[in-house]
Amino acid sequence: MTAGDTGLRPDTGDDSLHWQRPSPRLLRARRIQVAAGTLPIAAVGGLIGGLAGSAVIGLIVALALVAAGLVGEWFVARRVAAWSYAERGDDLMVRRGVLIRRQSVVPYGRMQFIDVTAGPVERSLGLATVRMHTAAAASDARIPGLERAEASRLRDQLAQLGESQAAGL
Amino acid sequence: MSQLPAFPGSDSDPAPGRSPGQPVTPPGDMTGWHRLHPLSPLVRSGRHFTSLVILLVILVVVNGRKSGGGEFISEGVVIFVVLVAGIINWAVTRWRVDAGVLFIETGLIRRQSLRFPLSQVQAIDVVQTGLARALGLASIQLRMAGADSSKARLIALRRADAVKLRSDLLSLAKTTKTSPATSASRTTRAPVAATPAEVQADERVLFRVQPGRLVGGLLLSITGVILAVIIAAVVVIAVAVHSTAASGIYLPFLIGAIFGVWRQFNGEYGTVVALAPDGLRLRSGLIQTTAETIRPGRVQAVRLVEPLVWRWLGWGRLEVDVAGSRQRRENRSEAKRWRALVPVGNRAEAERMLAELVTDPPRPTARPPASTRWKAPLNYHFLAFGGDDHYAVASRGRLRRTTTWIPLEKVQSVRWVQGPVQRRLGLASVKLDVAGKRVTAAATDRTVAEAAELLTRLPAQARAARHPLKRAPASGQPIPR
Repeated sequence: MTAGDTGLRPDTGDDSLHWQRPSPRLLRARRIQVAAGTLPIAAVGGLIGGLAGSAVIGLIVALALVAAGLVGEWFVARRVAAWSYAERGDDLMVRRGVLIRRQSVVPYGRMQFIDVTAGPVERSLGLATVRMHTAAAASDARIPGLERAEASRLRDQLAQLGESQAAGL
Repeated sequence: MSQLPAFPGSDSDPAPGRSPGQPVTPPGDMTGWHRLHPLSPLVRSGRHFTSLVILLVILVVVNGRKSGGGEFISEGVVIFVVLVAGIINWAVTRWRVDAGVLFIETGLIRRQSLRFPLSQVQAIDVVQTGLARALGLASIQLRMAGADSSKARLIALRRADAVKLRSDLLSLAKTTKTSPATSASRTTRAPVAATPAEVQADERVLFRVQPGRLVGGLLLSITGVILAVIIAAVVVIAVAVHSTAASGIYLPFLIGAIFGVWRQFNGEYGTVVALAPDGLRLRSGLIQTTAETIRPGRVQAVRLVEPLVWRWLGWGRLEVDVAGSRQRRENRSEAKRWRALVPVGNRAEAERMLAELVTDPPRPTARPPASTRWKAPLNYHFLAFGGDDHYAVASRGRLRRTTTWIPLEKVQSVRWVQGPVQRRLGLASVKLDVAGKRVTAAATDRTVAEAAELLTRLPAQARAARHPLKRAPASGQPIPR
């Protein structure tokens, strides 16, 4: 089973379920995003601290902000580890979340459309996010950080299953 | 009727899209271009226009004595511009029906050519605003499957024309049935242009709201409380400061609250729900009357709302969530999609209506474990879940008890959610989503084992409810009652 599985996960009674994980490069993508957020803020914070106070204060502020970024990295790593999905016969299951854990079951027949998106960081690492939309706004079937080939396979698979099982409203 | 000049992008040939084998010959002369009624600008901008005029009158009355009327030129200009824009809009708008398609062309600068295949029509409403009623006009509103229907409307026609056009469009929609998914029975045959009190021959009245109870219910609901608080604030400030001017700041709030109460009263006054062969017919309205037909298969969710004071009186409000009618009233937010079948009624009335919508309604009887008290001390009081093979039901809320029934065949997705506090207490929630924004029945705060069992069973039950022929997997036992 997956790293994010802690036994408190609901037991769906189906041990044959094949849980799949996003690409390991998702962690790298998220780290880049955290770093891209943290480092400029730390630099600016340090600069302001250094100008307003002394160089020592500036250094302390910058280091504190970098430390906050490292804590953020720890959160991100756990979030990435918690993400997994399984394709069942009639529905897609998606697990995610660390603090608030979620597991969604979305029947293929309810699918309205799928979108595959990739931000700049994801794109540079060859990753994409697949999201399945239903008529309910609360439905939540998003899988980030899939290899591009896996993303298009999943998209085609979902589209085909959605069409064959379409149930309308 | 005079032919309009051909606009760029429009085809003046009366029947460009007609296929040779089309069996339909539209009755009357609907194939030619028609204009709307010349008074339609008034109806179209009626509400805004009226409020503008009222605002202007208030301004004149309040400030008029001190200064002359000269400073209201800008308001006059605004009204003039609104009127001219409306007249231009009327002049460039035309419609026709051909080959089972309603064409609407509109727009002066940004020309729009709209095309509504009647086979996709879910329902056709005839709406009469107060102003339209006074002028003997009515508007036609088409409701299309899924798509944004806000543009699929004709404002306004002579009332008799509107009623005739509606029945013509409906008969066309039936004969041009192209896809089996939108069967002709989906279109409605609501008896419109009738005052709410009139009853059609083929209907059986299920519910008729009592005006006194509607007023009482409104004043005893949260809307009424807000109104009372604002009035109290205005009075207290006026007394404390010894000047009425100080409380004038609160006048906009007061007007807003009164307007809110009025709008709800106007919308729900004279609600009549009748059972007809094609579904539930719902008519309501004091000044603006609306009529719609709710097919049983289109109900996504039913909920019974019982605010605190109403519970003491044994009153309740029964609302339905219907797919596809979200654009029905343009100035209502999408969150307010719930349509009140019983705006306020006693228990027996609410139960009777509920039985009409939900066959053999299950009760939320499965209580959450006692440890939920720590997580939700207030909510715990009414928190419960239940269901059978066809429906799931959940109740929640301390002051305002809300019980929601969801047909399992309408479930769009099932979610299992566990927050940190729930994890400490060994709890989890399972939510059932139906189409729309945040329409959910939730088995909140069940034990982890029960939530896991629900997460396994509910998708299977929903699948079995969607495809009655396809057998559900072994986990078919009923939800704990």
